[in-house]
Amino acid sequence: MSKRRFEAGSVLRYSVIALLAAIVLAPFYVQVIFALKTRAEVVETGLALPTRLYLGNFAEALSNTGLVSAFLRTTLVTVVCVAVLQVIASMCAWAVVRNERSRYFGSLYYLFLAAIMLPFQVVMLPLYSLFRGIGLLNTVPGLIVGICGFQLAYNVFIMSSFIKTVPISMEEAARIDGAGVLTTYRKVVVPLLEPIMVTSLILNTLSAWNDFQVTVVLAFKDGVRTLQYALYMFFGQYSAQIHQAFAAFLIAVLPIVVLYLALQKFLISGLTAGSVKG
Amino acid sequence: MTVPAVILFALVVVYPFVGGIYYSFTDWDGVAKSWNWVGLRNYLRLFQTPVILTPLRNTLIFTGVNLVLCNALALFVSVGISRTNRLNSGIRAVFFLPFTISLVVASYMWTYLYSSGIYPLLGIRNPLGNPATANLGLSMISIWRNMGYCIVIYVAALQTIPESLYEAAEIEGASGWTRFSRITLPMLVPALTINVTLILGWGLKEFDTVMAATGGGPGDATTSVAFYVFKTTFVWGKAGFGQAIAIVMLIGIVLATSLVTKFFRSREVEN
Repeated sequence: MSKRRFEAGSVLRYSVIALLAAIVLAPFYVQVIFALKTRAEVVETGLALPTRLYLGNFAEALSNTGLVSAFLRTTLVTVVCVAVLQVIASMCAWAVVRNERSRYFGSLYYLFLAAIMLPFQVVMLPLYSLFRGIGLLNTVPGLIVGICGFQLAYNVFIMSSFIKTVPISMEEAARIDGAGVLTTYRKVVVPLLEPIMVTSLILNTLSAWNDFQVTVVLAFKDGVRTLQYALYMFFGQYSAQIHQAFAAFLIAVLPIVVLYLALQKFLISGLTAGSVKG
Repeated sequence: MTVPAVILFALVVVYPFVGGIYYSFTDWDGVAKSWNWVGLRNYLRLFQTPVILTPLRNTLIFTGVNLVLCNALALFVSVGISRTNRLNSGIRAVFFLPFTISLVVASYMWTYLYSSGIYPLLGIRNPLGNPATANLGLSMISIWRNMGYCIVIYVAALQTIPESLYEAAEIEGASGWTRFSRITLPMLVPALTINVTLILGWGLKEFDTVMAATGGGPGDATTSVAFYVFKTTFVWGKAGFGQAIAIVMLIGIVLATSLVTKFFRSREVEN
Protein backbone atom coordinates (compact mmCIF):
# COMPACT_ATOMS: atom_id res chain seq x y z
CA MET A 1 0.00 0.00 0.00
CA SER A 2 2.62 2.44 1.11
CA LYS A 3 4.90 1.31 -1.70
CA ARG A 4 2.15 1.80 -4.28
CA ARG A 5 1.43 5.32 -3.12
CA PHE A 6 5.15 6.04 -3.29
CA GLU A 7 5.25 4.90 -6.92
CA ALA A 8 2.22 6.94 -7.90
CA GLY A 9 3.87 9.94 -6.28
CA SER A 10 7.10 9.44 -8.16
CA VAL A 11 5.31 9.04 -11.50
CA LEU A 12 3.58 12.36 -10.87
CA ARG A 13 6.85 13.96 -9.85
CA TYR A 14 8.63 12.65 -12.95
CA SER A 15 5.85 14.01 -15.16
CA VAL A 16 6.17 17.47 -13.65
CA ILE A 17 9.96 17.31 -13.99
CA ALA A 18 9.62 16.22 -17.62
CA LEU A 19 7.30 19.15 -18.23
CA LEU A 20 9.78 21.56 -16.61
CA ALA A 21 12.60 20.08 -18.69
CA ALA A 22 10.51 20.62 -21.81
CA ILE A 23 9.99 24.27 -20.83
CA VAL A 24 13.72 24.64 -20.27
CA LEU A 25 14.47 23.17 -23.70
CA ALA A 26 11.68 24.98 -25.55
CA PRO A 27 13.65 28.17 -26.28
CA PHE A 28 16.42 26.07 -27.85
CA TYR A 29 13.90 24.25 -29.99
CA VAL A 30 12.26 27.48 -31.13
CA GLN A 31 15.68 28.96 -31.83
CA VAL A 32 16.75 26.09 -34.07
CA ILE A 33 13.40 25.87 -35.85
CA PHE A 34 13.21 29.57 -36.62
CA ALA A 35 16.84 29.72 -37.71
CA LEU A 36 16.25 26.95 -40.27
CA LYS A 37 13.05 28.25 -41.85
CA THR A 38 12.20 30.96 -44.35
CA ARG A 39 9.70 33.61 -43.37
CA ALA A 40 6.97 32.10 -45.51
CA GLU A 41 7.55 28.71 -43.94
CA VAL A 42 7.20 30.07 -40.43
CA VAL A 43 3.89 31.68 -41.30
CA GLU A 44 2.68 28.44 -42.84
CA THR A 45 3.99 25.79 -40.49
CA GLY A 46 4.63 27.61 -37.21
CA LEU A 47 6.71 25.56 -34.79
CA ALA A 48 6.66 22.29 -36.74
CA LEU A 49 9.98 20.76 -37.78
CA PRO A 50 11.33 22.20 -41.03
CA THR A 51 10.89 20.01 -44.09
CA ARG A 52 14.10 21.08 -45.77
CA LEU A 53 17.41 22.54 -44.75
CA TYR A 54 17.41 26.30 -45.36
CA LEU A 55 20.61 28.10 -44.48
CA GLY A 56 19.80 31.53 -45.89
CA ASN A 57 19.20 33.01 -42.45
CA PHE A 58 22.75 32.18 -41.43
CA ALA A 59 24.16 33.79 -44.55
CA GLU A 60 22.13 36.95 -43.92
CA ALA A 61 23.00 37.08 -40.24
CA LEU A 62 26.69 36.68 -41.02
CA SER A 63 26.76 39.39 -43.67
CA ASN A 64 24.74 41.89 -41.64
CA THR A 65 26.27 41.84 -38.20
CA GLY A 66 30.02 41.66 -38.65
CA LEU A 67 29.63 38.40 -36.84
CA VAL A 68 32.56 36.64 -38.50
CA SER A 69 35.25 38.97 -37.19
CA ALA A 70 33.53 39.16 -33.80
CA PHE A 71 33.46 35.38 -33.69
CA LEU A 72 37.18 35.08 -34.42
CA ARG A 73 38.03 37.83 -31.94
CA THR A 74 35.94 36.21 -29.22
CA THR A 75 37.67 32.89 -29.86
CA LEU A 76 41.07 34.55 -29.48
CA VAL A 77 40.05 36.37 -26.28
CA THR A 78 38.59 33.20 -24.81
CA VAL A 79 41.57 30.97 -25.61
CA VAL A 80 44.12 33.44 -24.20
CA CYS A 81 42.03 34.18 -21.08
CA VAL A 82 41.55 30.50 -20.33
CA ALA A 83 45.23 29.67 -20.83
CA VAL A 84 46.45 32.59 -18.71
CA LEU A 85 43.98 31.91 -15.91
CA GLN A 86 44.72 28.19 -15.77
CA VAL A 87 48.42 28.78 -15.39
CA ILE A 88 48.64 31.76 -13.07
CA ALA A 89 45.69 30.84 -10.85
CA SER A 90 46.91 27.28 -10.27
CA MET A 91 50.45 28.48 -9.54
CA CYS A 92 49.18 31.08 -7.12
CA ALA A 93 46.70 28.75 -5.42
CA TRP A 94 49.37 26.08 -4.99
CA ALA A 95 51.78 28.51 -3.38
CA VAL A 96 49.06 29.92 -1.13
CA VAL A 97 47.76 26.55 0.09
CA ARG A 98 51.21 25.06 0.72
CA ASN A 99 52.33 28.13 2.69
CA GLU A 100 49.11 28.75 4.55
CA ARG A 101 50.82 29.67 7.80
CA SER A 102 52.85 32.48 6.29
CA ARG A 103 51.35 35.90 6.86
CA TYR A 104 51.85 37.03 3.25
CA PHE A 105 50.16 34.00 1.67
CA GLY A 106 47.45 33.90 4.31
CA SER A 107 46.40 37.49 3.74
CA LEU A 108 46.66 37.02 -0.01
CA TYR A 109 44.13 34.19 0.26
CA TYR A 110 41.67 36.36 2.19
CA LEU A 111 42.17 39.21 -0.27
CA PHE A 112 41.16 36.92 -3.15
CA LEU A 113 38.26 35.53 -1.13
CA ALA A 114 36.94 39.03 -0.45
CA ALA A 115 37.33 40.04 -4.10
CA ILE A 116 34.93 37.33 -5.27
CA MET A 117 32.02 39.39 -3.93
CA LEU A 118 33.20 42.60 -5.60
CA PRO A 119 30.73 43.99 -8.16
CA PHE A 120 32.45 45.10 -11.36
CA GLN A 121 30.78 48.52 -11.04
CA VAL A 122 33.10 49.41 -8.15
CA VAL A 123 36.25 49.15 -10.27
CA MET A 124 34.93 49.95 -13.74
CA LEU A 125 35.48 53.72 -13.78
CA PRO A 126 39.06 53.70 -12.45
CA LEU A 127 39.87 50.72 -14.68
CA TYR A 128 38.45 52.57 -17.68
CA SER A 129 40.52 55.68 -17.00
CA LEU A 130 43.64 53.64 -16.18
CA PHE A 131 43.34 51.69 -19.43
CA ARG A 132 42.68 54.87 -21.40
CA GLY A 133 45.81 56.36 -19.86
CA ILE A 134 48.08 53.44 -20.76
CA GLY A 135 46.54 52.75 -24.17
CA LEU A 136 44.81 49.49 -23.31
CA LEU A 137 41.27 50.84 -23.76
CA ASN A 138 39.48 49.37 -26.78
CA THR A 139 42.22 46.89 -27.51
CA VAL A 140 42.05 43.10 -27.50
CA PRO A 141 44.95 42.75 -25.02
CA GLY A 142 43.20 45.24 -22.74
CA LEU A 143 40.01 43.24 -22.78
CA ILE A 144 41.95 40.05 -22.04
CA VAL A 145 43.73 41.70 -19.10
CA GLY A 146 40.40 43.02 -17.79
CA ILE A 147 38.54 39.72 -17.99
CA CYS A 148 41.44 37.70 -16.56
CA GLY A 149 41.98 40.11 -13.72
CA PHE A 150 38.35 40.16 -12.78
CA GLN A 151 38.00 36.35 -12.93
CA LEU A 152 41.26 35.68 -11.12
CA ALA A 153 39.98 35.72 -7.54
CA TYR A 154 37.32 33.10 -8.17
CA ASN A 155 39.84 30.91 -9.99
CA VAL A 156 42.34 31.05 -7.14
CA PHE A 157 39.53 30.21 -4.74
CA ILE A 158 38.30 27.05 -6.51
CA MET A 159 41.88 25.93 -7.21
CA SER A 160 42.77 26.39 -3.54
CA SER A 161 39.76 24.39 -2.36
CA PHE A 162 40.89 21.55 -4.58
CA ILE A 163 44.58 21.69 -3.71
CA LYS A 164 43.68 21.44 0.00
CA THR A 165 42.45 17.90 -0.71
CA VAL A 166 45.62 16.86 -2.56
CA PRO A 167 48.15 15.08 -0.32
CA ILE A 168 51.48 16.84 -0.04
CA SER A 169 53.61 13.65 0.10
CA MET A 170 54.38 13.45 -3.64
CA GLU A 171 55.62 17.03 -3.71
CA GLU A 172 57.84 16.33 -0.71
CA ALA A 173 59.25 13.26 -2.43
CA ALA A 174 60.01 15.34 -5.52
CA ARG A 175 61.73 17.95 -3.37
CA ILE A 176 63.88 15.31 -1.68
CA ASP A 177 64.87 14.07 -5.14
CA GLY A 178 66.15 17.56 -5.80
CA ALA A 179 63.41 18.99 -8.00
CA GLY A 180 63.09 22.80 -7.99
CA VAL A 181 59.87 24.66 -7.35
CA LEU A 182 58.95 25.10 -11.03
CA THR A 183 59.78 21.49 -11.88
CA THR A 184 57.73 20.25 -8.94
CA TYR A 185 54.83 22.40 -10.08
CA ARG A 186 55.00 21.27 -13.70
CA LYS A 187 55.81 17.60 -13.23
CA VAL A 188 54.04 16.76 -9.97
CA VAL A 189 51.35 19.31 -9.13
CA VAL A 190 49.79 20.01 -12.54
CA PRO A 191 49.01 16.33 -13.30
CA LEU A 192 47.31 16.01 -9.90
CA LEU A 193 45.16 19.04 -10.64
CA GLU A 194 43.61 17.58 -13.78
CA PRO A 195 40.02 17.34 -12.49
CA ILE A 196 39.86 20.93 -11.29
CA MET A 197 41.72 22.08 -14.42
CA VAL A 198 38.95 20.64 -16.59
CA THR A 199 36.26 22.25 -14.44
CA SER A 200 37.89 25.65 -14.46
CA LEU A 201 38.62 25.32 -18.17
CA ILE A 202 34.89 25.08 -18.84
CA LEU A 203 33.93 27.78 -16.34
CA ASN A 204 36.55 30.18 -17.69
CA THR A 205 35.52 29.47 -21.25
CA LEU A 206 31.96 30.32 -20.29
CA SER A 207 32.86 33.53 -18.51
CA ALA A 208 35.25 34.77 -21.19
CA TRP A 209 33.05 33.82 -24.15
CA ASN A 210 29.91 35.18 -22.49
CA ASP A 211 31.39 38.27 -20.86
CA PHE A 212 29.38 41.41 -21.34
CA GLN A 213 29.88 43.85 -18.49
CA VAL A 214 33.68 44.04 -18.71
CA THR A 215 33.44 44.30 -22.51
CA VAL A 216 30.90 47.13 -22.35
CA VAL A 217 33.36 49.25 -20.39
CA LEU A 218 36.73 48.23 -21.89
CA ALA A 219 36.14 47.22 -25.52
CA PHE A 220 33.19 48.96 -27.15
CA LYS A 221 34.67 50.49 -30.32
CA ASP A 222 34.03 49.14 -33.79
CA GLY A 223 37.28 47.29 -34.39
CA VAL A 224 37.41 45.34 -31.14
CA ARG A 225 33.86 44.07 -30.73
CA THR A 226 33.33 40.58 -29.40
CA LEU A 227 30.31 38.40 -30.13
CA GLN A 228 28.22 39.50 -27.17
CA TYR A 229 28.83 43.17 -27.84
CA ALA A 230 28.26 42.78 -31.59
CA LEU A 231 24.91 41.13 -30.87
CA TYR A 232 24.05 43.87 -28.40
CA MET A 233 24.86 46.63 -30.89
CA PHE A 234 23.02 44.93 -33.69
CA PHE A 235 19.83 44.24 -31.77
CA GLY A 236 19.99 47.51 -29.92
CA GLN A 237 19.95 49.47 -33.16
CA TYR A 238 17.67 47.50 -35.44
CA SER A 239 14.82 45.27 -34.64
CA ALA A 240 16.07 42.40 -36.70
CA GLN A 241 14.03 39.76 -38.45
CA ILE A 242 13.39 37.00 -35.98
CA HIS A 243 14.83 34.31 -38.30
CA GLN A 244 18.03 36.20 -38.77
CA ALA A 245 18.23 36.92 -35.07
CA PHE A 246 17.89 33.29 -34.10
CA ALA A 247 20.43 32.25 -36.72
CA ALA A 248 22.87 34.74 -35.20
CA PHE A 249 22.19 33.45 -31.66
CA LEU A 250 22.74 29.91 -32.83
CA ILE A 251 26.14 30.84 -34.22
CA ALA A 252 27.01 32.56 -30.93
CA VAL A 253 26.01 29.68 -28.66
CA LEU A 254 26.93 26.65 -30.74
CA PRO A 255 30.63 26.37 -29.81
CA ILE A 256 29.86 26.75 -26.13
CA VAL A 257 27.02 24.23 -26.17
CA VAL A 258 29.17 21.69 -28.02
CA LEU A 259 31.98 22.16 -25.51
CA TYR A 260 29.54 21.77 -22.65
CA LEU A 261 27.98 18.60 -24.05
CA ALA A 262 31.41 17.09 -24.59
CA LEU A 263 32.71 17.91 -21.13
CA GLN A 264 29.57 18.13 -19.00
CA LYS A 265 30.44 15.09 -16.88
CA PHE A 266 33.65 16.69 -15.68
CA LEU A 267 32.01 20.03 -15.17
CA ILE A 268 29.27 18.72 -12.94
CA SER A 269 31.54 16.54 -10.82
CA GLY A 270 34.04 19.40 -10.51
CA LEU A 271 31.42 21.94 -9.52
CA THR A 272 30.07 19.76 -6.78
CA ALA A 273 33.46 18.67 -5.44
CA GLY A 274 34.53 22.28 -5.18
CA SER A 275 31.44 23.74 -3.60
CA VAL A 276 29.55 21.27 -1.45
CA LYS A 277 32.50 20.68 0.82
CA GLY A 278 32.24 24.36 1.75
CA MET B 1 54.72 31.49 -7.94
CA THR B 2 52.26 34.16 -6.92
CA VAL B 3 53.93 37.05 -8.74
CA PRO B 4 51.98 36.98 -12.06
CA ALA B 5 48.66 36.62 -10.26
CA VAL B 6 49.47 39.38 -7.80
CA ILE B 7 50.54 41.81 -10.56
CA LEU B 8 47.38 41.16 -12.56
CA PHE B 9 45.19 41.39 -9.48
CA ALA B 10 46.83 44.62 -8.35
CA LEU B 11 46.39 46.17 -11.80
CA VAL B 12 42.76 45.18 -12.42
CA VAL B 13 41.27 45.00 -8.92
CA VAL B 14 43.31 46.53 -6.09
CA TYR B 15 44.53 49.72 -7.76
CA PRO B 16 41.14 50.55 -9.34
CA PHE B 17 39.42 49.76 -6.05
CA VAL B 18 41.56 52.26 -4.14
CA GLY B 19 41.26 54.76 -7.00
CA GLY B 20 37.50 54.29 -6.93
CA ILE B 21 37.28 55.28 -3.29
CA TYR B 22 39.20 58.44 -4.15
CA TYR B 23 36.99 59.30 -7.17
CA SER B 24 33.87 58.91 -5.04
CA PHE B 25 34.93 62.06 -3.15
CA THR B 26 35.24 64.12 -6.35
CA ASP B 27 32.93 65.73 -8.91
CA TRP B 28 34.79 64.15 -11.84
CA ASP B 29 32.74 63.63 -15.02
CA GLY B 30 34.85 60.68 -16.18
CA VAL B 31 36.46 62.52 -19.12
CA ALA B 32 37.90 65.89 -18.04
CA LYS B 33 41.55 66.27 -17.07
CA SER B 34 40.70 67.91 -13.77
CA TRP B 35 38.19 67.57 -10.97
CA ASN B 36 37.35 69.03 -7.60
CA TRP B 37 37.47 67.39 -4.24
CA VAL B 38 33.92 67.54 -2.86
CA GLY B 39 34.29 65.56 0.34
CA LEU B 40 31.22 63.62 1.34
CA ARG B 41 28.87 65.49 -1.00
CA ASN B 42 28.22 62.53 -3.33
CA TYR B 43 27.33 60.30 -0.41
CA LEU B 44 25.13 62.93 1.24
CA ARG B 45 23.35 63.53 -2.05
CA LEU B 46 22.66 59.81 -2.35
CA PHE B 47 20.91 59.78 1.00
CA GLN B 48 19.15 63.13 0.57
CA THR B 49 17.73 62.77 -2.94
CA PRO B 50 16.35 59.25 -3.06
CA VAL B 51 17.16 58.69 -6.78
CA ILE B 52 18.42 55.25 -5.90
CA LEU B 53 15.12 54.01 -4.44
CA THR B 54 13.56 52.84 -7.71
CA PRO B 55 16.67 50.92 -8.86
CA LEU B 56 16.98 49.50 -5.36
CA ARG B 57 13.35 48.37 -5.35
CA ASN B 58 13.75 46.77 -8.80
CA THR B 59 16.91 44.96 -7.75
CA LEU B 60 15.29 43.65 -4.57
CA ILE B 61 12.17 42.38 -6.40
CA PHE B 62 14.36 40.69 -9.00
CA THR B 63 16.59 39.13 -6.35
CA GLY B 64 13.68 38.04 -4.16
CA VAL B 65 11.78 36.35 -6.98
CA ASN B 66 14.97 34.65 -8.08
CA LEU B 67 15.83 33.44 -4.59
CA VAL B 68 12.43 31.90 -3.92
CA LEU B 69 11.54 30.44 -7.33
CA CYS B 70 15.01 29.29 -8.32
CA ASN B 71 15.53 27.42 -5.07
CA ALA B 72 12.01 26.01 -4.84
CA LEU B 73 12.01 24.70 -8.42
CA ALA B 74 15.56 23.39 -8.15
CA LEU B 75 14.77 21.64 -4.88
CA PHE B 76 11.68 20.02 -6.34
CA VAL B 77 13.55 18.74 -9.39
CA SER B 78 16.60 17.65 -7.38
CA VAL B 79 14.64 15.48 -4.96
CA GLY B 80 13.09 13.74 -7.97
CA ILE B 81 16.37 13.03 -9.75
CA SER B 82 18.78 12.46 -6.85
CA ARG B 83 19.34 8.74 -7.54
CA THR B 84 22.35 8.19 -9.76
CA ASN B 85 21.32 6.70 -13.08
CA ARG B 86 21.59 7.61 -16.73
CA LEU B 87 18.15 9.15 -17.04
CA ASN B 88 18.68 11.38 -14.01
CA SER B 89 22.13 12.50 -15.17
CA GLY B 90 20.60 13.32 -18.54
CA ILE B 91 17.83 15.39 -16.97
CA ARG B 92 20.37 17.24 -14.85
CA ALA B 93 22.44 18.01 -17.95
CA VAL B 94 19.34 19.38 -19.69
CA PHE B 95 18.55 21.73 -16.81
CA PHE B 96 22.15 22.97 -16.75
CA LEU B 97 22.25 23.71 -20.48
CA PRO B 98 20.85 27.29 -20.31
CA PHE B 99 23.63 28.22 -17.88
CA THR B 100 26.15 27.92 -20.70
CA ILE B 101 24.44 30.65 -22.70
CA SER B 102 25.40 34.28 -22.23
CA LEU B 103 22.91 36.54 -20.48
CA VAL B 104 22.90 38.76 -23.56
CA VAL B 105 21.80 35.96 -25.86
CA ALA B 106 19.38 34.65 -23.24
CA SER B 107 17.86 38.12 -22.96
CA TYR B 108 17.38 38.54 -26.71
CA MET B 109 16.09 34.99 -27.12
CA TRP B 110 13.46 35.63 -24.48
CA THR B 111 12.44 39.05 -25.73
CA TYR B 112 11.75 37.45 -29.12
CA LEU B 113 10.04 34.50 -27.45
CA TYR B 114 7.87 36.76 -25.33
CA SER B 115 6.79 38.92 -28.25
CA SER B 116 6.78 36.57 -31.26
CA GLY B 117 6.46 33.14 -29.69
CA ILE B 118 4.44 33.15 -26.49
CA TYR B 119 2.08 35.98 -27.38
CA PRO B 120 0.78 34.59 -30.70
CA LEU B 121 0.70 31.02 -29.36
CA LEU B 122 -0.63 31.41 -25.83
CA GLY B 123 -1.99 34.95 -25.82
CA ILE B 124 0.17 35.97 -22.85
CA ARG B 125 1.39 39.52 -23.38
CA ASN B 126 5.10 40.31 -23.33
CA PRO B 127 5.77 40.99 -19.62
CA LEU B 128 8.74 43.21 -20.48
CA GLY B 129 6.42 45.78 -22.06
CA ASN B 130 4.47 46.46 -18.90
CA PRO B 131 6.12 48.27 -15.95
CA ALA B 132 4.13 46.16 -13.48
CA THR B 133 5.42 42.83 -14.78
CA ALA B 134 8.76 43.75 -16.34
CA ASN B 135 10.84 42.74 -13.31
CA LEU B 136 9.09 39.38 -13.26
CA GLY B 137 9.76 38.94 -16.98
CA LEU B 138 13.47 39.56 -16.36
CA SER B 139 13.44 37.22 -13.36
CA MET B 140 12.07 34.42 -15.53
CA ILE B 141 15.05 34.76 -17.87
CA SER B 142 17.55 34.41 -15.07
CA ILE B 143 15.65 31.63 -13.30
CA TRP B 144 15.59 29.73 -16.58
CA ARG B 145 19.33 30.21 -16.84
CA ASN B 146 20.42 29.64 -13.22
CA MET B 147 18.12 26.86 -12.02
CA GLY B 148 20.41 24.15 -13.40
CA TYR B 149 23.32 25.40 -11.33
CA CYS B 150 21.25 25.10 -8.14
CA ILE B 151 20.11 21.63 -9.17
CA VAL B 152 23.69 20.44 -9.56
CA ILE B 153 24.52 21.64 -6.04
CA TYR B 154 21.34 20.17 -4.49
CA VAL B 155 21.70 16.78 -6.19
CA ALA B 156 25.29 16.48 -4.99
CA ALA B 157 24.20 17.23 -1.43
CA LEU B 158 21.27 14.80 -1.63
CA GLN B 159 23.63 12.05 -2.70
CA THR B 160 25.64 12.44 0.49
CA ILE B 161 22.65 11.76 2.76
CA PRO B 162 23.06 8.20 4.09
CA GLU B 163 20.29 5.83 2.96
CA SER B 164 20.23 4.37 6.50
CA LEU B 165 18.54 7.51 7.82
CA TYR B 166 15.58 6.98 5.48
CA GLU B 167 15.44 3.27 6.28
CA ALA B 168 15.31 3.99 10.01
CA ALA B 169 12.58 6.58 9.46
CA GLU B 170 10.57 4.13 7.39
CA ILE B 171 10.76 1.50 10.13
CA GLU B 172 9.53 4.11 12.59
CA GLY B 173 6.61 4.68 10.23
CA ALA B 174 7.47 8.24 9.18
CA SER B 175 5.45 9.55 6.22
CA GLY B 176 6.99 10.87 3.01
CA TRP B 177 6.53 14.49 4.10
CA THR B 178 8.00 13.84 7.55
CA ARG B 179 11.02 12.17 5.96
CA PHE B 180 11.48 15.19 3.67
CA SER B 181 11.06 17.83 6.37
CA ARG B 182 12.95 16.02 9.15
CA ILE B 183 15.78 14.38 7.20
CA THR B 184 16.18 15.77 3.69
CA LEU B 185 15.71 19.45 4.42
CA PRO B 186 17.99 19.70 7.49
CA MET B 187 20.70 17.74 5.68
CA LEU B 188 20.41 20.11 2.72
CA VAL B 189 21.09 23.31 4.63
CA PRO B 190 24.77 23.53 3.53
CA ALA B 191 23.68 23.28 -0.12
CA LEU B 192 20.93 25.79 0.55
CA THR B 193 23.54 28.18 1.98
CA ILE B 194 25.59 27.89 -1.22
CA ASN B 195 22.64 28.38 -3.54
CA VAL B 196 21.13 31.26 -1.60
CA THR B 197 24.49 33.04 -1.44
CA LEU B 198 25.07 32.54 -5.16
CA ILE B 199 21.63 33.68 -6.29
CA LEU B 200 21.72 36.59 -3.87
CA GLY B 201 25.07 37.75 -5.26
CA TRP B 202 24.02 37.35 -8.89
CA GLY B 203 20.69 39.05 -8.22
CA LEU B 204 22.09 42.08 -6.42
CA LYS B 205 24.65 42.56 -9.23
CA GLU B 206 22.02 42.19 -11.99
CA PHE B 207 23.30 44.03 -15.07
CA ASP B 208 23.47 42.11 -18.37
CA THR B 209 19.79 41.21 -18.61
CA VAL B 210 18.71 44.76 -17.85
CA MET B 211 21.04 46.30 -20.39
CA ALA B 212 20.23 43.80 -23.14
CA ALA B 213 16.56 42.95 -22.63
CA THR B 214 14.97 46.19 -21.48
CA GLY B 215 17.58 48.95 -21.31
CA GLY B 216 16.17 49.66 -17.87
CA GLY B 217 12.65 50.35 -19.13
CA PRO B 218 9.79 50.74 -19.66
CA GLY B 219 10.51 54.10 -18.02
CA ASP B 220 12.83 53.04 -15.22
CA ALA B 221 10.77 49.99 -14.23
CA THR B 222 13.67 47.53 -14.54
CA THR B 223 16.69 49.78 -13.92
CA SER B 224 18.84 47.83 -11.45
CA VAL B 225 21.39 49.37 -9.11
CA ALA B 226 24.33 48.11 -11.20
CA PHE B 227 22.75 49.47 -14.39
CA TYR B 228 22.02 52.79 -12.68
CA VAL B 229 25.68 53.06 -11.68
CA PHE B 230 26.70 52.37 -15.27
CA LYS B 231 24.36 55.03 -16.67
CA THR B 232 25.28 57.63 -14.05
CA THR B 233 28.97 57.09 -14.73
CA PHE B 234 29.21 56.69 -18.48
CA VAL B 235 25.98 58.07 -19.94
CA TRP B 236 25.14 61.01 -17.67
CA GLY B 237 28.77 61.93 -16.97
CA LYS B 238 28.44 62.02 -13.18
CA ALA B 239 31.33 59.65 -12.61
CA GLY B 240 32.08 60.72 -9.05
CA PHE B 241 28.48 60.25 -8.00
CA GLY B 242 28.25 56.90 -9.81
CA GLN B 243 31.38 55.75 -8.03
CA ALA B 244 29.86 56.67 -4.67
CA ILE B 245 26.73 54.63 -5.46
CA ALA B 246 28.93 51.69 -6.48
CA ILE B 247 30.71 51.79 -3.14
CA VAL B 248 27.45 51.92 -1.21
CA MET B 249 26.25 49.04 -3.38
CA LEU B 250 29.33 47.02 -2.44
CA ILE B 251 28.72 47.66 1.26
CA GLY B 252 25.09 46.58 0.83
CA ILE B 253 26.10 43.37 -0.96
CA VAL B 254 28.70 42.49 1.68
CA LEU B 255 26.22 43.12 4.50
CA ALA B 256 23.35 41.22 2.87
CA THR B 257 25.53 38.27 1.91
CA SER B 258 27.19 37.91 5.30
CA LEU B 259 23.88 38.22 7.20
CA VAL B 260 22.21 35.60 5.02
CA THR B 261 25.21 33.27 5.16
CA LYS B 262 25.35 33.62 8.93
CA PHE B 263 21.63 32.87 9.22
CA PHE B 264 21.91 29.65 7.22
CA ARG B 265 25.24 28.53 8.67
CA SER B 266 23.71 28.64 12.17
CA ARG B 267 21.08 26.17 10.97
CA GLU B 268 23.48 23.65 9.52
CA VAL B 269 23.48 20.29 11.31
CA GLU B 270 26.67 18.51 12.22
CA ASN B 271 27.10 15.20 10.50
